[in-house]
Amino acid sequence: MALRVRIASILAGMAGCWLLDVLCRGMLRESEQRLVVLAGLYVTLAVSLNLINGIAGQFSIGHAAFYQIGAYTAGYLAFFYYGKLPLQGVPWLIAMLFLGMGTAALAGLVVGLPSLRLRGDYLAIVTLGFGEIIRIVVQAIDLTAPTGEQVGGALGMNVEPRIRIVGLVWLFALTCIAVTRNLCKSSHGLALLSIREDEIASAAMGVQVPKMKVAAFMIGSAFAGGAGVLLAHSESFISPSMFPMDLSFIVLTMVVLGGSGSITGAVIAALTLFYVPEYLRGLKAPDGTALTATGANLVGWIVAVVAAVVVVRWLAFRFRGTARQRAMGYLATAVGLLVVGRALGWILSSVPALQQAEYEVQKLRMVIFAGSLIVIMLVRPEGVLGRHEFSWDWLARVLRRQRAREAAG
Amino acid sequence: MSLLRLEKATIRFGGLVAVNEVSFEIAPGELFGLIGPNGAGKTTCFNLITGMYRPTGGRILFKDRDISGLPVAQIVRLGISRTFQNIRLFGSLTALDNVVVAAHLHRRANLIDALLGDPRSQADTERLRGEAMRYLSALDLQDVASARASDLPYGKQRRLEIARALATQPDLLLLDEPAAGMNPAEKEDLAGVVRRLRSEFGKTILLIEHDMRFVMGLCERIVVLDHGEKISEGPPDHVRNDPKVIEAYLGEAV
Repeated sequence: MALRVRIASILAGMAGCWLLDVLCRGMLRESEQRLVVLAGLYVTLAVSLNLINGIAGQFSIGHAAFYQIGAYTAGYLAFFYYGKLPLQGVPWLIAMLFLGMGTAALAGLVVGLPSLRLRGDYLAIVTLGFGEIIRIVVQAIDLTAPTGEQVGGALGMNVEPRIRIVGLVWLFALTCIAVTRNLCKSSHGLALLSIREDEIASAAMGVQVPKMKVAAFMIGSAFAGGAGVLLAHSESFISPSMFPMDLSFIVLTMVVLGGSGSITGAVIAALTLFYVPEYLRGLKAPDGTALTATGANLVGWIVAVVAAVVVVRWLAFRFRGTARQRAMGYLATAVGLLVVGRALGWILSSVPALQQAEYEVQKLRMVIFAGSLIVIMLVRPEGVLGRHEFSWDWLARVLRRQRAREAAG
Repeated sequence: MSLLRLEKATIRFGGLVAVNEVSFEIAPGELFGLIGPNGAGKTTCFNLITGMYRPTGGRILFKDRDISGLPVAQIVRLGISRTFQNIRLFGSLTALDNVVVAAHLHRRANLIDALLGDPRSQADTERLRGEAMRYLSALDLQDVASARASDLPYGKQRRLEIARALATQPDLLLLDEPAAGMNPAEKEDLAGVVRRLRSEFGKTILLIEHDMRFVMGLCERIVVLDHGEKISEGPPDHVRNDPKVIEAYLGEAV
C-alpha cells in the first residue's frame, strides 16, 4: 500500500513537472521562463538551507558558496570537456547535476566539520567566512585554455551549451522537498531535530551528533550545488558577482520568514520573496507609463502600515478574547489600513511639499520589499508557518471540519 | 561481578579537584544512592560515568570494560542512560517524539533509507513509535503523548525524562535528582516508579538525591560524597549513623 502511494506520488510529481514544462514553453516568453527557472532554484536553495538551519539547527549563512561551487563545477567541466565526451545535451546536464552535488557535498563536509566545535553565532561567522573565501578564490582564478582564451575570473565565464528546462529544474526542487520531507518523517529526522533542541541531551540519548550534523550539512550543500549546476546551464553564463553575500542572506531570510524548520514555509517564502520584487519591477500604470506615487501617498501608507502593525501585534499577543473576536479584529485592521492609508494620503496632499514630490514605485521596490520583511517579522516572529507543515491529512481534517460545520449550521 | 566500577575516578578543573579518587562498585540489580551536600561532586560523577567529562585520573569500568574517555553516544550504546537534574527535554518536540529520539538508538533503517523514504524506514519509524508509546505508558504518560514537551507540567516532564532514558534500553539507569521540586505525595509516587523500573524492567539504578528520607527509604546501598571525596559507603542504616556523614551533611538536621 505504502509503496503504491509512493510510486503514484513520484509519477504525479514527474507528470506535474512535465506539464509545467509544456505550459511554460507554450505560454511564456523566454524571459518569463527564466524567472520560473530561477524561482525553482530559489525554492531548492531555501529548502536545502532549511534542512541545515531550521531542522538541524546549525546556523549557516554561507549557502551561496555551495550554489557557486555547483555552478563553477558545471562551468569548468563544460568548458574543458563538453563535446569531448559521448555525453550531449540533457544526459550531460544530468551527469553534471550529480557531479555538482558531489563537489558541493564535499564542501559541505569541510564546513560541517567546524560545526562540531562551534555553535550559534560562532558557526555563523565561520560559514560567512567560508562563503566569502569561495567567492574570492573563484574570482582570483584565471585559467588560460589551450586556445589562449581566458576562463573564469572576475569577468565570469560562458557555459556552453545553454540548457534551460523548466521541468527539470522543478523536478529537482521537488526531489529536494521530497527528500527533506522523508527525512523529517523518519526517526533520523527526529534525531536531527533533537540536536537543534538540545545537543547535550541528544548525545546523551545516543544520537551520533557529529555524524548527523555533518550529514545535514552535506545533504543541504549537495542540493544547493545541484541548483548551481542548473543555474549555470540555464543562464549559460556565470560570474562571481552572481553569488554575493546578499544571496546567502536572502535565502536565509526565506527560511526564517517561512518559519524555521517548516519545509512548506520555506517553499512559500522562497516563491513570494522571489516574485514580489519581480512583480514590483514590472508594475506599470494603466496607461503604460511608470507608476508613480506622491510623497503624500507614501507618507499616508507608511503611517497606516505602522499603525496596523501595532494593532495586529496587540491583537496577536495581548488581546484576551475568543479566536472569533480576534479574527474580526484582523479583518477590521485590514479595512482600517486601506481607509486610513487613503484618507491620510488625501489629507496630506494639501501640503505642497509632499504633493509635489513624486517617486517611481519601481525604484522603491527594494524599499517596499525590505519594509514588508520588517512587518512580517513584527507581526509573526516565528515565521509565516511557524513549524507547521502542509499535509494531505491536515487538508482532509480542515475540509471535514468545514463540512461538519455546514451540516450543523 | 560488578556492573559498574569506579576505580579512583578523579577529575580536576584547573586547580579545583571536583571528584577526587572516588571508588565504588554497583552490582547488577542494585538500587544505589549517591548523596552529599551541594557541590559535593555528585553530578560531576554522573558526567564522568556518562562520558560528558573525561576523567583526569583513575578508571571507570562498565561490564568490566574501561569506558573512561569514550564519547557520550558510545557509552549510551553500551547500556548506560541518564536523566538530567535541570530537565533537558527536547522542548518543541512532542512527548512521544522525545522518547522516539532515544529509541532511535535501536533503529534498523539507515540514513539513506530515511532520505529515500524507503518503506523499510517508515516501518522502522512506526516500530520505534510503538516502542516509545510503551515506555510512555509505563510511566503513565500515554495521555500526553502528543503534547509538546515544554507544555507539560513539571512532574510529568520529570517522568518524561525517565521514559526517554528508559527508551535507550540501558542496563544501568542514572537518575539525577528525580524527585527535585516534588511534593511528598509526588515523591511517594516516584519512589514506586523507581522500584518498578527495577522489578518490571530489570534495570540497575544509580540515583542522586537530596532528600534524605527519600533516599534512605529507597536505596539499598549509598555512597556519600563531600568536597569530591567519598566519606562513607554502606546500607542506609550504616550511613545514617556514620559520624563523618553527620558532620558533613546531616549535622544540623539530626
